[in-house]
Amino acid sequence: MSRLSIEKTVKQYVGGKFIRSESGRVMASTGSDGRTVFVPQGSRKDLRDAVRIARKAQGAWAARTAYNRGQILYRLAEMLDGRSLPTSEADAIAAVDRAVHHAGWSDKITALLSTLNPVSGTYVNYSRIRPLGVLVVVPDPADGLLGMVEAACTCAVMSNSCILVVDASLGELAAAFSEALHTSDLPGGVVNVLTGNASELLAVASIHDDIDGLLLYGEQPDLAELQTEAAHVMRRIVQRTSATPAATPIELQQLAEVQTVWMSAYEPQGGAAVY
Amino acid sequence: MNKKSDPKPELDLKGALELSPSPERIPVTIRERYGHFIGGKFHDGTDDSLFETVNPATGEVLAHVAAATEAEVDKAVASARAAHTKVWGKMSGAERGKYLYRIARRMQEKSRELSAIETRDNGKPIRETRDVDIPLACAHFFYYAGWADKLEYALPGRQARSLGVAAQVIPWNFPLLMAAWKLAPALATGNTVVLKPAETTPLTAMFLAEILQEVDLPPGVVNIVNGAGATGGALVGHGDVDKVAFTGSTNVGRIIMRQIAGTKKKATMELGGKGAQIVFADAALDQAVEGTINGIFFNQGHVCCAGSRLLLEESIAEAFMERLQRRVETLRIGDPLDKNTDVGAINSAEQFATVQRYIDIGRSEGAKVWQGSATAVPDKGYFIPPTILSGMQQSDTCVREEIFGPVLSVLTFRTPDEAVKKANDSEYGLAAGVWSEKTSKLFEVAHRLNAGIVWANGYNLFDPASPFGGIRHSGFGREGGIAGLWPYLEVA
Repeated sequence: MSRLSIEKTVKQYVGGKFIRSESGRVMASTGSDGRTVFVPQGSRKDLRDAVRIARKAQGAWAARTAYNRGQILYRLAEMLDGRSLPTSEADAIAAVDRAVHHAGWSDKITALLSTLNPVSGTYVNYSRIRPLGVLVVVPDPADGLLGMVEAACTCAVMSNSCILVVDASLGELAAAFSEALHTSDLPGGVVNVLTGNASELLAVASIHDDIDGLLLYGEQPDLAELQTEAAHVMRRIVQRTSATPAATPIELQQLAEVQTVWMSAYEPQGGAAVY
Repeated sequence: MNKKSDPKPELDLKGALELSPSPERIPVTIRERYGHFIGGKFHDGTDDSLFETVNPATGEVLAHVAAATEAEVDKAVASARAAHTKVWGKMSGAERGKYLYRIARRMQEKSRELSAIETRDNGKPIRETRDVDIPLACAHFFYYAGWADKLEYALPGRQARSLGVAAQVIPWNFPLLMAAWKLAPALATGNTVVLKPAETTPLTAMFLAEILQEVDLPPGVVNIVNGAGATGGALVGHGDVDKVAFTGSTNVGRIIMRQIAGTKKKATMELGGKGAQIVFADAALDQAVEGTINGIFFNQGHVCCAGSRLLLEESIAEAFMERLQRRVETLRIGDPLDKNTDVGAINSAEQFATVQRYIDIGRSEGAKVWQGSATAVPDKGYFIPPTILSGMQQSDTCVREEIFGPVLSVLTFRTPDEAVKKANDSEYGLAAGVWSEKTSKLFEVAHRLNAGIVWANGYNLFDPASPFGGIRHSGFGREGGIAGLWPYLEVA
């Protein structure tokens, strides 16, 4: 007699907790075994809650050492590797390798993108990179698990926190990824995963003033609307065609701000003009 | 021993030094009429579009300038496109760089004329155009000239290429300097340009066009169209523009971003600010006074990164204000062409009214308004003396909104945490200053400030090697340094 399988409840992952949508809504999607799974349909309030939690988590995440953040992202690769994941073997392998790749950037990318600027004056002038803050990310469903890992790792390695908005068709995979996130020592709230209708949640994100950036993969039919709304707060919109190639350093730079500091090196000078 | 009530012995500096007028007398030629610079040639523009550009210190009309029509903008973009495809985009970086060096050198040679024209058109003191605007504009060309043949090092591990045609719209506060900030990196990276100067300050850009002709810059590489918002709208909205670079107010920046939404145009926005200037009790106070003055009264406060919010540690607030006011009372307001002048004219009647309106709002919201200067405010032209508003709350209009004038709002704090919190409590994030003699405190506070630029024991310092630009509502993209190349390049 065949054993009756356990149907795992698919949940969202916010602030280190597995939650249903506050709306109680679910969307039907086909699971990896061909059976129907019900995926939470993230709501406006789910997104707002996630932004608040992500904002709170971001500062503490950025305050950790780069070495520590790198180890945690490497731990994510360890947690993904060998896990039973509802995706193809090739996708799982690519995703694990991608997490390893980005983990390594953690304590190097600053050295690559920062500059010591030789200004005319008695200042040590340097440009450092600092995180954008809170990003809402829409991976391309065609990129599978790799798309989620690429998105989450690029945000996190640049010291941002993020909210992944995953299409309900990948709800089961998103939940599996969330379990890996949960066991990876990543502090709650740094990477959050909502599921449901991506364009519905993006429309909400695009009028939320406390979201610093949108990271969008693949074709975006609503791009003009998103950009129009973003103009109000000069929200950064970063577009990627695909997650197949890993983000290059200059693409990682787009998930950060350049801050230039003029540090007085000798006697304070007063300023530009001499009054 | 002095009791607290005893008057402190002080030199009476106000009016202590009578100075004879020392005007800059170099003769400059300003034509009666200007049009546009398209395809290497000057065009008169249309007669019915003429507007005046005025010397704001005297009210004198300096020239009549034509506003470009859509057809003229189209012609300028077509000329830039042709130059990119046929000449500039194909030219070796080394050759491009040599043109930029030529421009830098010729500007240096003509710097005295440029300063004199700029001061007339803008109203800022000759001391600033002579010592800051023009030398820095030259330095930007000189700096980016050297990048033109080194672009393979600009993007780590990737080959870079130019974007194509850049539409650049610049403000009136540093007319030639902003032109240089925009043109130099765009040209070094192989882009061609259509530049629109501000309608109240078109003259130095037209003088620059003459320089570009003199140095034989290939026709169409730089095109300049004059006009106001309508011309700017036609330019950034043009279908054959690949890149939009704008410096100006956040509101106009929003309009532009909405206008180009849904297109493939790349953008750089250098917008407004409400810079905080934090002075700790352990700062070198006299230097901090100088820095505060440089922060807000430099260029009559017409500076996007102006240090318009002064945050004083409570224990020194009173003493600092005394020193500050004493120093402000030595600033000479008057004829911008006079080399002794510290504070010049507000750029336009419109801006004059805006600043006055903010001072009135400040007063009506309960601020104590103090104004000071060493000389009398001239009775003609648009002049506003250095103004300090105290007794302010974090929620006051003059603490939250960009005034873009010589108006300083003063607040106090008790702890570094409170200072950072107040400084960061703004929609803007362009620049900030921090004053202390304790290095660890400088680093900590500087890195916690949400601003694109932080000056530690200084303010309003600029350098072509130093990336400039904001976060949040102050815009995005950087100008200056390696980061200033990125907005004009894409991965090949």
